[in-house]
Amino acid sequence: MAEATKSPLESVVGKSDEELFSFVPYDAAAAESIGYSNYSYWRSVFQNFMKKRVTVVLACVFLFLFIFTFIALAIGKYDVNNLTTNSAAAFTKPNGEYWFGTDNLGRDYWCQVWYASRISIELAALVACGEAIIGVIVGLLWGYVHALDGILTELYNLINNVPTIIYMTLIALIVGQGFWIMAISMIAIGWLTMARNVRNLVIMYRDREYNLASRCLGTPLVRILSKNIFPYLISVIVLRLALSIPNTIALESTLSYLGLGLDVNTPSLGILLRNARNYFLAYPYLLIFPAAIVSIISITFYLVGNAFSDASDPRNHV
Amino acid sequence: MAMLKYTINRLVRGVITVLVIATIVFILMRMLPTDYFFTEEQLMKFTDEQKEAALDEAGLLDPLGVQLIRFYGNLFTGDFGTSRRIQNGQSVVKVIGSKFAISMRLGMIALLISLVLGVLLGIIQTAFKDRFLDYLGTVYTILVNAMPSLVTYSLILVFGSRILGLPAVYSARTNTIASCVMPVACLTLASIAGYALWTRRYMVDELNKDYIRLAKVKGLSQGQIMWKHVLRNAFVPLAQYLPASFLLTISGSLLAERFFSVPGMGPLLTDAISKYDLDVVQTLVIFYAALGILGVFLGDVLMMLIDPRISLTKKGGGR
Amino acid sequence: MKKFVAFMLALAMMLSLAACGGSSSSSSSSSSSSSSSEESSTETEVATSGAKYYDTINMDDSEDAITDLVIYQVTTGEVETWNWLNSQSATDFYVLTNLVDGLLTNDTKGELCANLATEWGTDDNGLTWTFTLREDACWVDCDGNYMADLTAQDFLTGLEYVLNAAKNGAANTSMPIALIEGAEEYYEYTAGLSEEEALALTAESEEFTSVVGIEAVDDYTLVYTCLFECTYFDTVATYNCLYPLAQGLLDEIGVEGMQALTYDTMWCCGPYTVTYFESGNEKVFEPNPYWWGNDEYTRFNSVTEKMIDSNDTAYTLYQSGDLHQVTLTESTLTTIYSDTSSTYYDYLCEGVRNKYSYQIHFCYDKYTEDGEKDDNWNTAIANEAFRKSWYYGLDLTTYLARTNSINPLSCENNFYSMSGLVYTSDGTDYTELVKANLGLSDSDGETPARLDSELYEQYKAQAIEELTAAGVTFPVEVDYYISSSSQTALDTANVLADAFSECFGDDYIVLNIKTYVSSLSTEVRDPHLGSIYINGWGADYGDPDNFLTQEVYGDDNAYYSVYYSCINDFYGEDGDEAYSEELIATYEEYTALVEAANEITDDLDARYEAFAEAEAYMLEHVLVLPCNYSVTWELTCVNDYSKIYAVYGSQERRFLNWETNINGYKTEDYEAFKEEYYS
Repeated sequence: MAEATKSPLESVVGKSDEELFSFVPYDAAAAESIGYSNYSYWRSVFQNFMKKRVTVVLACVFLFLFIFTFIALAIGKYDVNNLTTNSAAAFTKPNGEYWFGTDNLGRDYWCQVWYASRISIELAALVACGEAIIGVIVGLLWGYVHALDGILTELYNLINNVPTIIYMTLIALIVGQGFWIMAISMIAIGWLTMARNVRNLVIMYRDREYNLASRCLGTPLVRILSKNIFPYLISVIVLRLALSIPNTIALESTLSYLGLGLDVNTPSLGILLRNARNYFLAYPYLLIFPAAIVSIISITFYLVGNAFSDASDPRNHV
Repeated sequence: MAMLKYTINRLVRGVITVLVIATIVFILMRMLPTDYFFTEEQLMKFTDEQKEAALDEAGLLDPLGVQLIRFYGNLFTGDFGTSRRIQNGQSVVKVIGSKFAISMRLGMIALLISLVLGVLLGIIQTAFKDRFLDYLGTVYTILVNAMPSLVTYSLILVFGSRILGLPAVYSARTNTIASCVMPVACLTLASIAGYALWTRRYMVDELNKDYIRLAKVKGLSQGQIMWKHVLRNAFVPLAQYLPASFLLTISGSLLAERFFSVPGMGPLLTDAISKYDLDVVQTLVIFYAALGILGVFLGDVLMMLIDPRISLTKKGGGR
Repeated sequence: MKKFVAFMLALAMMLSLAACGGSSSSSSSSSSSSSSSEESSTETEVATSGAKYYDTINMDDSEDAITDLVIYQVTTGEVETWNWLNSQSATDFYVLTNLVDGLLTNDTKGELCANLATEWGTDDNGLTWTFTLREDACWVDCDGNYMADLTAQDFLTGLEYVLNAAKNGAANTSMPIALIEGAEEYYEYTAGLSEEEALALTAESEEFTSVVGIEAVDDYTLVYTCLFECTYFDTVATYNCLYPLAQGLLDEIGVEGMQALTYDTMWCCGPYTVTYFESGNEKVFEPNPYWWGNDEYTRFNSVTEKMIDSNDTAYTLYQSGDLHQVTLTESTLTTIYSDTSSTYYDYLCEGVRNKYSYQIHFCYDKYTEDGEKDDNWNTAIANEAFRKSWYYGLDLTTYLARTNSINPLSCENNFYSMSGLVYTSDGTDYTELVKANLGLSDSDGETPARLDSELYEQYKAQAIEELTAAGVTFPVEVDYYISSSSQTALDTANVLADAFSECFGDDYIVLNIKTYVSSLSTEVRDPHLGSIYINGWGADYGDPDNFLTQEVYGDDNAYYSVYYSCINDFYGEDGDEAYSEELIATYEEYTALVEAANEITDDLDARYEAFAEAEAYMLEHVLVLPCNYSVTWELTCVNDYSKIYAVYGSQERRFLNWETNINGYKTEDYEAFKEEYYS
């Protein structure tokens, strides 16, 4: 079949059977050999992913950006923990001394932007990982174990039907504001969507014949979940992970605008954006730099996530 | 009959969920420091005894259980309480009532615009799949999603007021079209992208199905295929979210309404929390939860109505 | 509908104007004396007020004056209640003060002047106060329809409402209870009654009239009896706890309706009524056609107040001509000021200072976060030389520049009491007396007046010597707490920390910026965690006593002593700290001075002089450190110096006699206004 599609039809037309077919001699060694494919899931994912040049470049851009947040702080002329205020230098436009200009108190903006980027990326990555781990585990159990379905569905309804903003406000006002508090509270709400997606997929694959067979053969639950079902989920999980990062940054900036974000001593891109909102009419660079970084992170994650998700779908591997 | 039973079942479960949510929020709100009960000036000038007296009068020093019973007692008699600082002494229902009409009006306009434009964009993208217009649409979708709304709204504000000369604040009194333009633009920008994304996604999925190939072989024109088969089938999953979107227009948009001083529901919840306006918070939470649950339920029903293959009663819910 | 009514009203006014001809002024006097034929008298009043109002608009000397003013308020400052007897929030009164009049009001310099009362005074050093009311005041509804005459009885109704626990809760009771005879008894009595019984009481009830020291001698004479010789009781008359309430309104809507009062159910007796209100968006004031002051004051045809999210949006609106005044934010101010070709460069105006006097309060009984007494700080701050080194050495100019980046020194504050609070009989401001007592020179506009590097070095050396002997380690760490969500507070704190490091050097005093989550009082103040607090005190009434008694020693009502300086707890559990004796002695001396000043009730000038001495004593010994005033920059079509200036009470936002210029005022205009104002 594969042969036929490859060769043009003309080469076959009008030829006699003898020309086309010949007998294969018996070969004992060939008869003994078994089919072997050197298929490896992760290698295929990687190969598929590498085929898309644009996304590879974007992934590199992001990696570079993340590494650069460290380099930028090292090569900057000012130390972010040791900035002094200087009203005379307030709102200086970007120049040789201040590469990104200065803020309203005359402090170097370069180091603030990069430091904030690092914090935001760390926060987003942490939240994404936390969501993924909790979401996948709960989602697998939720979908596979019938007894849990009712309880978890109610829990989902319970948490999901209260506006996120009320949780975040109450947490900020009761517990406080800080990097870890923020990360944990975002995970505590974010795992729901992941779990829900995973659960829906698990229900789809749970009762496929090969799983029934596995169960009949006595395969342990953990193994069914991790080897039979999990691979089908990877593409969805990766996509959600990739989308969660821009979402976290956006939510963080909205919360910062309301004064409910990170505390002021941990500058994040959200806080810089919020501050810049008051200044950007006159000093657009104060908005452009953090906004550009946020956009780069979001876009790269969106596209890379999509590409990686396609690549990780085993159905696309053949 | 089965449908009726199913509906009742869903609604009863919904009501229970709402009550549990109300209880959770009730307890959480009581964990807030009581400082929020007072204005800054009161905090400044009140002695501890005065503060205590004020809290006692509001019944906030009673044990949590007593407060909770009182709350449910009022709730079941249909009394949602009175606002304390949002609009002092007004019944909460009245406060919310005056606000939600405004949010809903703007929200509906925005929803209609974004639905029409979003689906249209999605169709165009599918029709020109992997060509320039498709890429252009994708770039728009990605950009809008990538930029935090704080930034996009600021840009709209500047662009609208500086270059187009639109009024920078919404005016409820004159209610001119011009003063609605910017809030509506903010609301639609992101949701157009959302609708376009999903429309394109579902339509492309549909296009790859076998029956479409059959239709092509049969000799149906591209337009007919798109209109009669692809769009209609792609609209089914999209329709599931429509009731929820319509209902959620009521809740308004926090950022957009703040930016343009729209006196709607959006900023009400955060304001009420920070002003310790407990009855307002409580009612809003019940209201939002009920809307959310109702939205999902109506979505399911709508999907069943337009797609006869789907039956809710056979599966027995759990959606 | 409303518009139609207004139109008909205007038409009626025009017609009656034509009918009355030129006899308006005479009919005005006759109308106020005739009270027998109510209907006819009110009709003539329509005519006269209409005529006067008409005149004032046309006669306005400048054609640049604005007739329809548009101002704004930041969204968080929306009106929370329209019940003027219940409101305890200044932002409510930005609106309500235009709708309801009090007995007295303030003028542009802050001195008391007539309002509903035309004459007032006391014959017995402040024990009883008599107010003579004007006879042409009346109540109207929001559409400007006449409802009732305003008489002395309305003040009794108002005070009864305030003091009745079942009607008004505990709101606004503190001042009457502190000053008026029987007020506390009546409040306690109603609090003890069942709700029904308490609600049944009225201003005519025996329980009220026989107990509380207020009496309507006749319809237009009101007498208050104070608990003690209260020389400043008249200043309390600008405050809403003594505002009137029409019994007719109460009868119409009931106590419940009063608690849930709205702009369209309320009755007004002030210069304006609110004819449109959408919470969080916009409100419109229109002149009250029956207001008594038509011929004395100029008013706007309408005032629209918009609620706006931020000052930046407001600036955008000012640029498009949709607003008549905007406070400039840091960045807009810098932009305009740094660009001489900017459209608004010549229009930058420095506003009038607000009514708060900000102080740096020291905590003398500070604890660390582990709950231990912070001996290092407590010992250091109890040392007078140490405190004096702050006084002479701490240059707050950069800190002041946070509120006013162009002229930081207009925010310079060297006193504890607010300027403009009271004036002596020859018109001298009270703070001038303090200044003379302190021997401070005038500031030269470049360096703060109290800085003195020689004295600083001298006291620093002395402090280091004495404190090292007492076992204090340097640098002394100062814990300063800010809200963890406020960027502005963080920026300001950073500037302050840099000022500390600049002035004191990092080896002497260091400022640590710390944060609290949501409540300064429960998280920081109550556990005594902060070393310093920066706070502004707004006066309750017009007497230095209101400021100075907040710092006295050993008094549970002294706000700052109890909650911030914690001087009363100073001895702590051990009680044997030798270092404390000097500080306590200073505090006792100060307290004695304040009490002595408070005894003087027969001669106001002597009283103020005595208070000035006490205040100077407190500042010389640096028990607190004056910090700043708040003065901001603005673009404006309104002359702020023509507005009411009120340090106490709630009169400052009345839209009366505001000078306006549609083209916006220039910097030099404002400088001229300022010069004229302070000369």
